[in-house]
Amino acid sequence: MVILGTKRAAPRTRGPVDSRGYRIFRVVNAVVLTLVVILTLYPFVNIVARSLSDEAYLLAGKVNVVPRGFDLTAYRLVMSDPLFWTNYRNTVVYTVVATLISIVLTTCYAYVLSKPQLKGRGVLVGVALFTMFFSGGLIPNYVLVTSLGMKNTIWAIVIPNAISVFNLLVMKAFFESLPTELEEAAAVDGLNTYGILLRIVLPLSKAIIATMVLFYAVSFWNSWFTAFLYLDRQDLLPVTVYLRNLIAGATSAESAAADADKVQAAATLQAVTIVLTTLPILAVYPFVQRYFVSGVLLGAVKG
Amino acid sequence: MLRKTWRRAAVATAGVLALTLATACSEDPGESTDLAENRVGAMAEYGVGDQFKATEALSFSTLYNNHTFYPLKDDWLFWSELTKRTNVTIEPVAVPLSDYEQKRSLLIGAGDAPLIIPKTYHPAETAFVASGAILPVSDYLDLMPHFRDKMEKWNLKPEIDNLRQSDGKFYLLPGVHEKPTQDYTVLVRTDVLQELNQPVPKTWDELYTVLKAMKAKYPDVYPYSDLFSKPTPTGALLNILGASYGTQAGWDYQHATWDPAAKKFTYTGGSEQYKQMLTYLHKLVAEGLLDPESFTQTDDQARQKLANGKSFVVTGNAQTLVNNHRPDLAKTQPNAKLAKIPLPVGPAGEINPAPRLENGIMISSKARESKNFVAMMQFIDWLWYSDAGQEFARWGVEGTTFTRDASGKRAPAADVDVLGLNPKGTKHLQQEFGFYNGVFTYGGTPDLVRGFFSAEELEFQRVMDARTPRAVPPPHPLTDEEREQVSLWETPLKDFVAQNTLKFALGQRPLSEWDAYLAELKAKNAEQYIEVVNKAYQRFQDKNS
Repeated sequence: MVILGTKRAAPRTRGPVDSRGYRIFRVVNAVVLTLVVILTLYPFVNIVARSLSDEAYLLAGKVNVVPRGFDLTAYRLVMSDPLFWTNYRNTVVYTVVATLISIVLTTCYAYVLSKPQLKGRGVLVGVALFTMFFSGGLIPNYVLVTSLGMKNTIWAIVIPNAISVFNLLVMKAFFESLPTELEEAAAVDGLNTYGILLRIVLPLSKAIIATMVLFYAVSFWNSWFTAFLYLDRQDLLPVTVYLRNLIAGATSAESAAADADKVQAAATLQAVTIVLTTLPILAVYPFVQRYFVSGVLLGAVKG
Repeated sequence: MLRKTWRRAAVATAGVLALTLATACSEDPGESTDLAENRVGAMAEYGVGDQFKATEALSFSTLYNNHTFYPLKDDWLFWSELTKRTNVTIEPVAVPLSDYEQKRSLLIGAGDAPLIIPKTYHPAETAFVASGAILPVSDYLDLMPHFRDKMEKWNLKPEIDNLRQSDGKFYLLPGVHEKPTQDYTVLVRTDVLQELNQPVPKTWDELYTVLKAMKAKYPDVYPYSDLFSKPTPTGALLNILGASYGTQAGWDYQHATWDPAAKKFTYTGGSEQYKQMLTYLHKLVAEGLLDPESFTQTDDQARQKLANGKSFVVTGNAQTLVNNHRPDLAKTQPNAKLAKIPLPVGPAGEINPAPRLENGIMISSKARESKNFVAMMQFIDWLWYSDAGQEFARWGVEGTTFTRDASGKRAPAADVDVLGLNPKGTKHLQQEFGFYNGVFTYGGTPDLVRGFFSAEELEFQRVMDARTPRAVPPPHPLTDEEREQVSLWETPLKDFVAQNTLKFALGQRPLSEWDAYLAELKAKNAEQYIEVVNKAYQRFQDKNS
């Protein structure tokens, strides 16, 4: 018996042959997406290459993708600045604390809003939505934060922006999509409201929470404006302000007063600082990404 | 329901606004005289040459522009020595230099500003005048003997009069220079000059000849390829070229130019001098002497062209020369020689266009209420305006950070480096000691201002000192309403002039269309603008002559 032969002769199980149009689409798709990948990746690869290059090549405009004249002086310079590390530590602390507060507050708010039987739900949603379109403005906010005594403390960074309305609405939609029967069953089994939230709903919401953590963490990691507004001491500032100041300092006319050799390193310094500040987010992202994709979709489609 | 709430909110807002206006207008003009209750800590006798020392320990909050190159340190000798000498402690409110202006506006707007607000560039203070948040310092000059002394001795009245607002007072204590120190000029490859047997050009016309010769020898090179295309295209070149043609262009663009012969202001962008300047610029572009990319390229691109021998001339100053171009050239073309040439002379004659005022200090109005107000003004006067204070802020402590030879010439101490003057020095004057700090070091005598200059730069300044300082236009402070009105015209006018400057220079619009251009300027309210300025000038004359 020639089993192998019959197997080989067996009809294709992949289904109908792809149509001509679909194949063209796939090729075009691949080409376009590859281009997008290159476009997105290039600036980053370029910055990494710049951070590792000798300034002479940088100034001659010869650095594109591959580092030229491998040189780690700039890394040593940045890493030897204690202020950089102080600010870096601040960023980590601010991000962790702020994300924690934001997640707790957003989850609580969103869960409450997802309950149709809640009286005054419309008003609560309205309150949140209102802040999406109108704000008190810069100076009233500043006066408020200052008179609450939060200036020059971590609270000025982590409290005022604790709830992002957009994230709140995504989360609310997600909770609404959870089958109410589950909660009813839990209630029948004797869980109270908090028990239902903590033991039934939250464990089912890992995807959306991971997504929210990512959203919040990235936005807090990158934010500099609130810190710039409410913090007057350089040892409290996050690393984003340090970076911003470094770049401004390197390009402003005033740095002309600085030493020749050190100004020379400015171009590399910027690249190095950018690499060092983006690195943690880049390192974390791939692990959260799978939640990220499913989480946003789950929130968007109401079951 | 919602609409009702809004209406109520609107009424409330209007009420608050009206209240603010009422309080702002009801200020008592005579309150500046009685200082009896504000003299705590002040010196009873304080005059020119006196060392200020508060009679009790004081501290004043100060907005601090934190520079990346020398970030604020609490253990700087500057702080401790300042307290030792004056009994005053400065409490810095550190703001990153990247967003200093924004934070300053915020703090002043929120009523949370420190007492002393340095590093303010005129006319930035104008924005805060109407709110009453900053002090009309001109009312308190009798507390500042050194400032008054320098103003008289250096004949700075015309310059300072220009700081006056429509109420005749000024709100900014400027940094004052005895002599103008011109910074920007043309940098030329002198080795190429030699190779072509050309002398160093003294006028813009001679520069044209030189560029022509360079082009003849190297036909595929644009000999002049400039930096500074942002924010104004070729701002630096237009700035120095404009000054040489008796007008104001580029970085320095001012809408109104004073015409001393007619005794009135004219619109800069439509003046004959401006046209002449454009004609010259266009000639350079048309004959391939000035790189048309000068108007758009980034500084780095221009730097690379010079470094790689694709251009021989750029606009620059001592810092760009020493910090950027020379190291670039040393790496790429070791035999190249680049030098600053004395600012080429144009139709306006041998003038030195540099201003004698620089950024200055605002004082919060609430300082006036402080019982230490007089002491604070005396302190500011000592630190920023006395010879001793200026030397201290710039050089530090004699014997520790600097030394003085028999002729009185200062030099950094053996272990102290600044601006690479003493490369063997292990400690940096700015970073380790906090001196020569942009927040505290303004102006002074040439001896101080140019203390860190190289021999080459001093020689450049010697040539420039022989030239007449540019005449200062008479004051023409606008009222609030006028300022509001002209600010509506300013932006479109400025954009229009900048656009057309570019078009005329590049030849996209022939200069034969100048009259059409003038008509378009008029349509954009250039004439009304000048009318307002002339009216303001006349009003100031009537009031103050």
